[in-house]
Amino acid sequence: MSENAAAHDAPTSTGIDHKKLIMWLFLASDCMFFGTLISTHLLYRKLYPAGFTDAEGHQRFIQNLFNIELTSFSTFILLMSSFLMALAVSAMHKGQIKSFRRNVLGVIFFGLIFLGCQVFEFTHFYHQGLTIQNSVLGSTFYVLTGTHGTHVAIGVLWLILMYFYSFTGKLGGHVGALDVEVAGLYWHFVDIVWIIIFTAVYLVEYLGPNGFWGTGLPAVTK
Amino acid sequence: MSHDSHHAPVASKLELAPERSDLGLLRPDRTTGWSDWLTTVDHKKIGILYGAFAMFYFLVGGVEALAIRTQLIRPDNDFVTARMYNQLFTMHGTTMIFLGVMPLSAAFFNFLVPLQIGARDVAFPRLNAFSLWTFVFGAFVLNASWLFEFGHLAGWFNNFEWHKNLVYTDFAPANGWFSYAPLSGTFGQADASLHAPRFTGVGTDFWIIGIQVLGIASLAASFNFICTIINMRAKGMTMMRLPVFTWMTLVTAILIILAFPAITVALIELMFDRAFGANFFNPSAGGQPILWQHLFWIFGHPEVYILVLPAMGIVSEILPTFSGKSLFGYPIIVFSGAVIGFLGFAVWSHHMFTTGLGPVPTAAFSLLTMAIAVPTGVKIFNWLGTIWGGRVRFTPPMVLSLGFIWMFMCGGFSGVMHSSAPADAQQQDSYFVIAHFHYVLLGGVLLGLMAGLYFWFPKIFGRMPNATVAYIASGMVILGFNLAFGPMHYLGLAGQPRRTHTYHAGFGWETWNFVATIGAYILGLGVFISFVNLVWTAFKGKKCASDPWDGRTLEWSLPSPVPEYNFAQAPVIAARDAFFEDKHGGKRIGFENDGGEAGVHMPSQSWMPLLASAGFLFAGFGMPMMAMGVPHAGWIVITGLGVLIVGIWLWALEGPGGYMLKTPAVAGSPAPTETAAH
Amino acid sequence: MSHSTEAAPSPAFLAEETRRYHHFITLALWLAVVTGAEIVLIFLPVPMPVVLTVLSLMSAGKFFAVILWFMHLIYDKRLLFWIFVGALMLAFATFTGLLALLSPDRIDPKWFS
Repeated sequence: MSENAAAHDAPTSTGIDHKKLIMWLFLASDCMFFGTLISTHLLYRKLYPAGFTDAEGHQRFIQNLFNIELTSFSTFILLMSSFLMALAVSAMHKGQIKSFRRNVLGVIFFGLIFLGCQVFEFTHFYHQGLTIQNSVLGSTFYVLTGTHGTHVAIGVLWLILMYFYSFTGKLGGHVGALDVEVAGLYWHFVDIVWIIIFTAVYLVEYLGPNGFWGTGLPAVTK
Repeated sequence: MSHDSHHAPVASKLELAPERSDLGLLRPDRTTGWSDWLTTVDHKKIGILYGAFAMFYFLVGGVEALAIRTQLIRPDNDFVTARMYNQLFTMHGTTMIFLGVMPLSAAFFNFLVPLQIGARDVAFPRLNAFSLWTFVFGAFVLNASWLFEFGHLAGWFNNFEWHKNLVYTDFAPANGWFSYAPLSGTFGQADASLHAPRFTGVGTDFWIIGIQVLGIASLAASFNFICTIINMRAKGMTMMRLPVFTWMTLVTAILIILAFPAITVALIELMFDRAFGANFFNPSAGGQPILWQHLFWIFGHPEVYILVLPAMGIVSEILPTFSGKSLFGYPIIVFSGAVIGFLGFAVWSHHMFTTGLGPVPTAAFSLLTMAIAVPTGVKIFNWLGTIWGGRVRFTPPMVLSLGFIWMFMCGGFSGVMHSSAPADAQQQDSYFVIAHFHYVLLGGVLLGLMAGLYFWFPKIFGRMPNATVAYIASGMVILGFNLAFGPMHYLGLAGQPRRTHTYHAGFGWETWNFVATIGAYILGLGVFISFVNLVWTAFKGKKCASDPWDGRTLEWSLPSPVPEYNFAQAPVIAARDAFFEDKHGGKRIGFENDGGEAGVHMPSQSWMPLLASAGFLFAGFGMPMMAMGVPHAGWIVITGLGVLIVGIWLWALEGPGGYMLKTPAVAGSPAPTETAAH
Repeated sequence: MSHSTEAAPSPAFLAEETRRYHHFITLALWLAVVTGAEIVLIFLPVPMPVVLTVLSLMSAGKFFAVILWFMHLIYDKRLLFWIFVGALMLAFATFTGLLALLSPDRIDPKWFS
C-alpha cells in the first residue's frame, strides 16, 4: 500500500510492479508458514493415528468425526470464490468497475459462507468432544484450520474495504487494477492452501478402511 | 486528486505549502526535530535510527555479558542469583542477536542499498518506517521484562491480588535464547481457565511476543529490500554489477523471508500451549518437545547466516578499497554467499546431534555441515587474493576487516570440529561451543560491523572518526576478545558446562575463568570507547571530503552527508565498481535525462507506520500481562490489534502523496506550469 | 481525476482479457470436476497407494492450475514463478525431511495418557 507515487511511472528494472513483486515474496514466505503448520499436523497424525479421547473417555477416530460432505461443500465454495476473484481482477483490467463490484461481492459472500462453514465445523467438533486442550489432534487441527480461517477473514475484510473504496471513485486506472490484482493474489493463495489442506488433512483420512494413518495404537515394540 | 497536484519544486521541504492527505489530515512533510524523525520515510534517516538503537542494545547486551563474566570470575561466586544468571544469559543472547546484530545490519541495508544500486529510495518507504518502529517496539517489549523483574524484586507488586496468585515469579525470560520446550511450555492438563501448569513465569511470554513482533519487523523489511534490489537498480546496474554488500543483503533478506515463518509458527504454537492449554509441546498429552527444537533450528540455523552474511558483504567492500584492487573472484564470492545461504537450510539438525536422530540423519546432516566449510573457505581465499599484491592501507576499517578474516577463520575451524557428530557429542553444552560461536559472532560479525561503521561513518555524517582512538579501541576489542574467548576452548574441553551459574573450585577452571573475565572487561571497554568515538564523530567530528577512502561503489560519488534525494540525476552504470572506474578507469558514470527540470519526486512523510506499529506495543504488553493474571489485560491486547488495523487502514487511505524537490542540476530552471493540478 | 484521462484499454488488450476470461471459466469447471472426482475416489475400492498417488497428482494439478491461470503466472514474468516455486520446493523439502525424522516407533506411549 505504501507505494512510492512516482514508482509506477518509472519502469522497474524487471518490468514487474513493486506491489506485485512484494506480494509474491510474501506468498513465497507464506509457503514456509503454512508448510510448518501443515507438517506439524501431519507429524502428529503420523505419531498418533489413534485420534483422541472425548469427555466421556471414549476413544474417537477421526473418520467418525469429520463431515466430508460439509468440507467438500466449503472447498467447492472457496474454489468458486477464487474463480470470481479472477473475474473481478479481469474486470478491473478492462476498467469495468460495475462488473468488478458484482464479482467481488460474490467473493465476499462466498468467503463468508466458507467462514460460516468453519464456525459450524468447529462447533460441531467441539460438541463431539474434540477440544484444543484434550489432545494433540485438537491442538494441531484447530490451529491449522483456524490460521487458514484467519487468512480468509483478513482477505474478506480487505475485499470489503476495497468494495466500499470503489464507490469513492479513487479505485481505477493502472494503480487500481494493480491493487485489486494484488488482493486477488492473496485470495487465490488462501485458496491453494485450502486445496492442500483438503487433501492432506481431510481426504487422506478416508483412504482404505481406516484412513491413511491407520487407527491402531503406535507401533511400539517394547 | 490531491496526490497528483504536486507543489512546484522546492529547494527544501520546509518551503512546502501545507498539504493534506486523502484523509484530510495534514501531512507531516514540513516537520523538523522529533516529529521529523518519528514520521520519516527517508531510508538514510531510518538507517541512522536503526544504527542508534542497535548500538544502544549492544551496550545493554554487553552489560549483561559483563554481569555474567563477573559472576564467573571466581568459583562459588554469588554476584547474582542462579535465577538472575539464567535471565542474564537469556537476555544477553536474545538482545545481541535480535536487537544488536540484526538491526545494525539493517542499518547498513537501509543506508547503503539504495545508494549502491543508484536508487532514490526503497520500494516501499512507509513500509520501511513500519519495520523500524515495529523493531523498536518489539525491542522495548522484550526489555520491559527487566522492568517487571526489578519491580517484582523491589516488591512493587506485592499488594496486587494477581501477584499473590502467581506460581512462578520470574518476569524476565530465563530459558536461553532458544527457549526449548518443555521448559518454556506446559505440562499436565489445562484447568477450567484453559491454563495448563507451566515450568516458567511470564518472562517466557515476554520472550514469545517480543520475538514475534521482531520477526514481523524483519519480514517486512526483507520483503521491501528484495523488492528494492531486484526492481530499483539504476540503468546498467545488472545483477552481476551489484556491489557485494548489496548481493549479501539480497541473500540475507531471502533467508529471512524463508526462515522466519518457521519460528513464527513455532511461537504461535508455544503461545497456544501457554495461553490456551494446547498440547503442541506438552509431554503429558503426547506433545513432542523435540518438535520445538526442529522448528526452532529450521529457523535458527539460517539465522546464523542472516547474522554473518551482511558482515561478509561489508568486508568484501572494505578489502578491495584499501588494497587498491578490485575484489578477487567477484562471481565466486557472490555464488559462495548464495550457496552458504541455501546450504544453511539443510543443516538444522546439527544442533541436535545429541538428541539421537538415528545414524542416517546424523551422517547426512554431518556431511552437509562439512560441505558449508567449502564455500566459506572459498570466500576466505578470495579475500586473501584481494589483499595479495595490493597496496594495503591500514586504516581502522581495514584493521578491523583483517581481524574479521583471522577471527572468523578461528570460529570456522571449531565449527568444522562440531560438524563431526561424535566430537560434537563431547562438546555439546560446554564452553567449547560458547568459544566457537563467539569467535564467529564477535570475531566475525561484530568486527565486520564495526569495520562497516568506521568505513561508512564519513559518508553517513560527513565527519571522520578519530583514527588514533579507533586503532586503540580496535586493538582492545581484538585483544580482549581473544583473552575472553580463547580460554573457553580449553574450559569447554576440560568439561565446564554452559548456562550454569557457578562452579566449584578444584576442577582446574579457576585460572582461565579469571582470565576470560578480564578479557571480557577489556573487550567491553574497547567496544564502549569505539562507540563513544563514533557518537562523538556524528556530532562533533572533523568534517571530511565526500570520498575520503578513494571508494569504489556508487555511494562515494555522492556528497556527504547524502542529500535527501540521493542522486540529483539518475545514474547510468557501465561497470562493476562504477565509481572507481569513473575516477580511474575508462568507463564513466552516465546520467539519465529523467525530466530533472520537474525536480525529484520525494515520498511524503507519515504518522501511520508509527501508529500501526504502536499496536504491537499494546499487544506486546497485554499478552504477558494476561499471563500474569492482571485483570482486563485482554482488553489491552484487543486495543493493540485495533490500533494496528486502524493504522494500516488509514495508511492505505491517506494516499502516497509526495512532493518535488529541486536538485542542484535544476535549481535555476523555472518552475513548470502546473498542468496536472486541479 | 487522473485516471479519467488515462488511455482506454487497447482492443488487443481487451481481446487478450476476453481470452483469459474464457480460460478462467474453463478452469473453474475443471476445478469443480476434479474436486468432485477426489471425493468419489476416496470411497472407491482401489488400493491405497494408487488412490494416494492419484489424489496427490489431482491436488498438485489444482494447485498449479490456480497459480498459473488465476494468479497469472503463465502470463507474467518468469521471475515471479521461480520466486514462488523456489520457496515451495524449499518448504516441501524441509518439511518432508522433518516428517521423515520422526516416526512412531521412536515414541513410547507410556509417558502420556
